[in-house]
Amino acid sequence: MRNPIDSESYAAAIASAAMGPGGMSRREMVQRLGGGLGAIGLLPFLNADAAAPASVGAHPVPRAKRVIQLFMNGGPFQADFFDPKPALNRCQGQRPKEVDLRTERATAGLMAVPFSYQQYGESGVPVSELLPKVAGCIDDICVLRSLYTDNPNHGPALYMMNNGTITPKRPSMGAWFLYGLGSENANLPGYVVLCPGRPVRFSELWNSSFLPAEFQGTYINHSNLDPRKMIPFLRNSSLDTLTQRRQLDMLRSLNREHLASRPEDMLLDARIKSLESAFGMQFEASDAFDLNRETKKVREEYGASQFGNGCLLARRLAERGVRFTQVYYGNFQPWDTHSNHDSSVRTLAADIDQPIAALLTDLKRTGMLDDTLVIWGGEFGRTPVSENGNGRDHNHYGFTMFMAGGGVRGGMTYGETDDFGFRAAVNKVHIHDLHATILHLLGIDHEKLTYRYAGRDFRLTDVHGRVIKEIVSGYKSV
Amino acid sequence: MSATVFMNGTVVLPIGWIGIALMTFPWPLLAEEAAPLVTVDSDGLHFFETKIRPILAQRCYECHSASAKKSQGGLQVDTKASFLAGGDSGPAIVPGKPQESLLIAAIDYDGDIQMPPDGKLPAAEIALLTTWVQRAALLPDDTATAAVKKKIDYATAGTFWSFQPVRTIEPPTVVAWEWVQRPVDAFVLASLEQQNLKPALPADRRTLLRRVSFDLIGLPPTPEEIEQFEQDSCSDAYPKLVERLLSSPHYGERWGRHWLDLARYSDKPAPWDTTKAQAWLYRDWVVEAFNADMHYDEFVRHQLATDLMPDSTSSNRAALGFIGMSPVYWKELQLDKEVIKATVADEWEERVDAVSRTFLGLSVACARCHDHKFDPISAEDYYAIAGVLANTRLIDLPMIPGPEGTLAMQAVQQAAKLKAEIQAIEELKPPPADRDQKIAEIKKQIATTEQTPHYSSPLAFGVDDAALEVLADGPNRTKLEYTPGKAQDLNVHIRGNPSNVGPVVPRRFLTVLSSGTSVPFQVGSGRLELAESILTAGAPLSARVIVNRVWKQHFGRGLVETASDFGTQGSAPTHPDLLTDLTHRFIQNGWSIKWLHREIMLSATYQQSSESNPSHYAADPDNRFYWRMTRRRLDVEAWRDAMLFVCGLLDPRLGGPPAPLSDAGNNRRTLYGSIDRYEVDDMLRLNDFPDAFTHSPNREPTTTAIQQLVVLNSPFLERLSAALAGRISAPSTAKASPGAASTGSVPEAKACVSDKIRRAYLLLFGREPSEREMQIGETFLSGGQTDQPPLPELWQQYAQALLGSNEFLFID
Repeated sequence: MRNPIDSESYAAAIASAAMGPGGMSRREMVQRLGGGLGAIGLLPFLNADAAAPASVGAHPVPRAKRVIQLFMNGGPFQADFFDPKPALNRCQGQRPKEVDLRTERATAGLMAVPFSYQQYGESGVPVSELLPKVAGCIDDICVLRSLYTDNPNHGPALYMMNNGTITPKRPSMGAWFLYGLGSENANLPGYVVLCPGRPVRFSELWNSSFLPAEFQGTYINHSNLDPRKMIPFLRNSSLDTLTQRRQLDMLRSLNREHLASRPEDMLLDARIKSLESAFGMQFEASDAFDLNRETKKVREEYGASQFGNGCLLARRLAERGVRFTQVYYGNFQPWDTHSNHDSSVRTLAADIDQPIAALLTDLKRTGMLDDTLVIWGGEFGRTPVSENGNGRDHNHYGFTMFMAGGGVRGGMTYGETDDFGFRAAVNKVHIHDLHATILHLLGIDHEKLTYRYAGRDFRLTDVHGRVIKEIVSGYKSV
Repeated sequence: MSATVFMNGTVVLPIGWIGIALMTFPWPLLAEEAAPLVTVDSDGLHFFETKIRPILAQRCYECHSASAKKSQGGLQVDTKASFLAGGDSGPAIVPGKPQESLLIAAIDYDGDIQMPPDGKLPAAEIALLTTWVQRAALLPDDTATAAVKKKIDYATAGTFWSFQPVRTIEPPTVVAWEWVQRPVDAFVLASLEQQNLKPALPADRRTLLRRVSFDLIGLPPTPEEIEQFEQDSCSDAYPKLVERLLSSPHYGERWGRHWLDLARYSDKPAPWDTTKAQAWLYRDWVVEAFNADMHYDEFVRHQLATDLMPDSTSSNRAALGFIGMSPVYWKELQLDKEVIKATVADEWEERVDAVSRTFLGLSVACARCHDHKFDPISAEDYYAIAGVLANTRLIDLPMIPGPEGTLAMQAVQQAAKLKAEIQAIEELKPPPADRDQKIAEIKKQIATTEQTPHYSSPLAFGVDDAALEVLADGPNRTKLEYTPGKAQDLNVHIRGNPSNVGPVVPRRFLTVLSSGTSVPFQVGSGRLELAESILTAGAPLSARVIVNRVWKQHFGRGLVETASDFGTQGSAPTHPDLLTDLTHRFIQNGWSIKWLHREIMLSATYQQSSESNPSHYAADPDNRFYWRMTRRRLDVEAWRDAMLFVCGLLDPRLGGPPAPLSDAGNNRRTLYGSIDRYEVDDMLRLNDFPDAFTHSPNREPTTTAIQQLVVLNSPFLERLSAALAGRISAPSTAKASPGAASTGSVPEAKACVSDKIRRAYLLLFGREPSEREMQIGETFLSGGQTDQPPLPELWQQYAQALLGSNEFLFID
């Protein structure tokens, strides 16, 4: 139920706006949407085209055009990587009352972190020995140490991180991004979810819920790197390109005959165009998803792991204008280390270090890091206290994420956890604040990106959200 | 909030904190701070007016004042009365005690509420506010001391159009009276004439037949049916056609699916749900109810409360699936009971939402945290309805009535438990010595259990009455405890938080629809009384809503465009009198849906052509006044079914368990494809199939490139185009009826190219191809060689293009 504009003309406008040279420009589309704009926050569309973006409406200046999220599903432990807590080693085995917090399972005393830290880069931000290569990029990274969320359970926490609510019935943030900004490439889906398997809660994490279905994420299992296996119905199994082109030309002639006696029907026209786009997508997507088109050197930089492949695919998609790419680390929830935490984390960290560093370096080399926001983290953190002797339980009270590029200040940390790294203590950042900040970087005021559904205006940030302006480049403290 | 701080004892009291904050102050402030704490009131008030009010005005009034668009959190800080009364979370200040004042905790960013939301105040302002509270928080008296909380004015709110009783309305006088065929036409024509618009010409018979056929049974007419209808010159040919299609068993399949969108139908429950119930029993019940023209009031009553109806038969048990297959959310019982209570409350909210929007067209769930912002629905109203669902337990329901059914159900559950035991043993490391023996023993028990009579009779998603309590279960666990036969009212959850409860609200119907007083429900959960209230006190809404839904399916747009929101935020009706009168007659005709179809489809309005008209298009591009028929795109079910049908592959069997649509040879109607709300089939997902987690009032039509890959490359289209190519090569006298084999009885040796093209056009579009279309086809099929018969693969490519054409997808 879309209030501001008629749904059919909207669908047609979206379809034809995505047409490229033959269709409408974004500006035209915005004009066509007319009065609907105020309510639906498509203003950044204008910003992207306008000569003086800052003057448009009340939306912030866009810094990032696209987002890549590296999702450590299961939840990494903050003090293993970017938030050194020497008190854990000093007080090992103790259970001071500050850490006597209820989490999902029964926990015991504090468990030491066996990984050493060093300061890196010009900024001197500390990074643990687990991520030596990522540490080399630290001057481009903003470490957020004071995240917290609402529920210590995977499902609800995954919903919160992705959909801004702990129940499974709201649009995902990627759907909101597309709703607000549209797609930059008609021949590719605008929101892609890569996972070499299935993360917990699966499609609910990238659903469009009450937003139009076209805004939902396109899930791609990249454990098989053949592009034809990744996108449903991508290529024809029997017709070659020329034959299919000839077939489509004939279909287009028939469709135009049909249209000739039915003028003024945008939907008919939109569908004719979308068939042409689909034809293009076969090649564009086959190219975008084909890692064999990268040089051996680049493949080696990213490494041969599935996560490395995901990072490289994300870079290829970002280059082609995909608005939002999520790379889930792995099937189910590999970071959920309830037992044997330290040894598992060593393996996991070794697996992500090189690909993340390669992605950041690669984006920086081509200048894309300026307008590509990279986000790293899980759905929550883990406890400083032990579980099962050598594991760590879920922790929603405090955890770390990082952002890089896309208008974020590098070489800084924001916020603090308590002495044991359990609870966010200073400059706390709720997931709603994270979402508000991401939207801000994309040039969207999170309070103005709304959608009327069931009699009420919905937002990704519900009635919450604080933009963390301190981490936006150019920020000057007052 | 300060409460969390004290609980953990990690933070010293704010007195020390004030000291720290003071150190950063500019000197003049310190001087003021040093002044005696208690002075005469006028000084205190002066302090408020000069130091405090400017801060409040600049930082807080935007959201917390009488002039704010909406006062957030129920809090206003612009009058003494409202300030002291506080907001939804309680009093904002405790004079003299900053450490107990929510306001101070909030501006200190020291808890759940952090204000202002866009960034912490400068330290100096925090210190000033703290000092002011410390100094007894003096405030000037207000001239107006009106009640802070706005009360809903039900008398005024009750005058809203959709709450008004339905009644007969004399059709308006029109100039072109000869156009009018049914009462609805007079209303439509009157508004057209008012706009200086004229109705379009009637659609030609072929177009009308195609439209009616897709509308009622979701399938195209056969060439033979078209020929027959075009030649039938009787005056009642059209009514007879409508009647024939209304009595087709495929009618229920078409209209049942529309209902399933509202009911968030899914064949598969959540992955962790251990239910053995099968949703298709509900789906088939819905289909049969439509086919039997079960009157809508009965239809509603059975779905909400057939188990509580004295005269209900076991054949209606599956109706309970509407609530029975509600989405359930994961409840980690190792978590605190307050967390589980919140999840349970979320489930209730979804059920209130589905029930209220489906049956009443009201978004009652909006009032979970506070009175509805726009509609006259209070938070008390929400908890009155939520209470009904909170005492309704989701269960696996045996289709066999009585003790036999219960025994069979218990046997199924027992067998599942035993199978889980085997799995547990198999996973034991190291395996126990008597592993094989134990397993063999359990297997024997399973075999015995499976001998229980009616063991294989399916279980439906159902409900029964049982009160639910969320209780602590030892130190680190929570349990859900159901008490059958008990029913309890809910407390209001303040701001939707189940851990912060207000007064108890008896289970009852919505105040605004109860003409003053709504009587508490008495029987069990109150589901039957709720159903009766929806159909009596709520009839103005419940009947209008279903009439509008049916109208919307026939015309592509509703008289009220927001089909599940008839509140103040919904769209106003384009033809209020038409809706009121049609609804009144619908009730008079026993809430019969088939009566409603006839009334709509026999109208001149429905039978118009969809042809455009430039001046009319300029005046009313969205066709809000019905100056023509709106061209519509087939939904994915009708599109897929129609393709199977014209290719001669459709399997017309009715009902039964679902099968994945992606199965290679699945030729059944799309309605019978398995729906998993967690993982929707690719073809459905790409073609606007709705999210099955929530009530879905309309399909949002999208046109995307990735959607068209289905047309270009899917194995389904490849298979069907091969079948169609074969079928048009053997036209003969084959009847294109559902389920017929794809070949005719006497295959012709060689139909010439143009004959085959003609045959294809008749099958797919029900018409002859134009000269130009014939030429396009022949050129393509020649493959550049005019003297050779076309290669079979060219026929297949041609067939695929026709199936993927706009003409096949859109209905004039």
